[in-house]
Amino acid sequence: MADKVCLQPCLGLRKEAVLGRQALYVVHEDLRPDTTVLGCGPALNANVQEDVDFINMYPVVAVEACELDCATRLVDKKGNKAAVTLRISDLVKSLRIDLSSLPEHEIDTGEPAVQAIAKRIAEQVDALLA
Amino acid sequence: MEEQDFKVAVLPCNGIGRLVSTVVRLAGYKIKEMRPDQVVLLSSGRLAVQDSEHKALFEKYPVLVIDGCRPHCASFMCDELGKTPAARLYVADVAAESKIAVGGEKRRGLTEKGHKLVDALAKKAVEEIDRIIADEMLSTL
Repeated sequence: MADKVCLQPCLGLRKEAVLGRQALYVVHEDLRPDTTVLGCGPALNANVQEDVDFINMYPVVAVEACELDCATRLVDKKGNKAAVTLRISDLVKSLRIDLSSLPEHEIDTGEPAVQAIAKRIAEQVDALLA
Repeated sequence: MEEQDFKVAVLPCNGIGRLVSTVVRLAGYKIKEMRPDQVVLLSSGRLAVQDSEHKALFEKYPVLVIDGCRPHCASFMCDELGKTPAARLYVADVAAESKIAVGGEKRRGLTEKGHKLVDALAKKAVEEIDRIIADEMLSTL
């Protein structure tokens, strides 16, 4: 049974990607520091050992900004499968977040939308480790 | 006469693990703002999985690579896809050259100090972009 979860964001450029990235900092640094690792997509693609180990040792929560599911596909490319794929666009909808009210490139981690999404991702981490 | 399409594809690593990841990401947006008509900003996520639309842009234009940290992951991506970048920037080089110290900055959100490095990196990138485009234009004359 794994004792940690690998959070693997898409790292795209759109606002949903920024929102997801900021939420993952909150999950990893504030909410679940002892039970998560933060996977870096370009590093995984470049076979950086730490990032390869992360997806091999821990169940992966891929956090996607759009329907291209690049994080999930990158984990596939490296011979593994994401345990869960979460799309920020779905979370935005279910949490009734007004995306247009958020800044484009820099979103504060204290922003309620970031905190709400982080909480949902942390719940997913807990579910995987239960 | 056929109009030439002189653009540069900018590939920032857009990582997440380090302070420099945030610097690179924000510099990418700033570069696009500074040269909106000359820059195509590439997503490392889409390129890593060889998204066809993104790969076509990568192949069409000369590429400026921006690496945040030591593994040089954006450069790796370029190599993996079989293209030699027209230019490469490495954040540590820009930090050293511009004498900008970013101790105490956090990856989740930059203060003025971090933004100074973002600005320096974007400025350096734009110089490279202007040079690449000039080189492309002059090579057609």
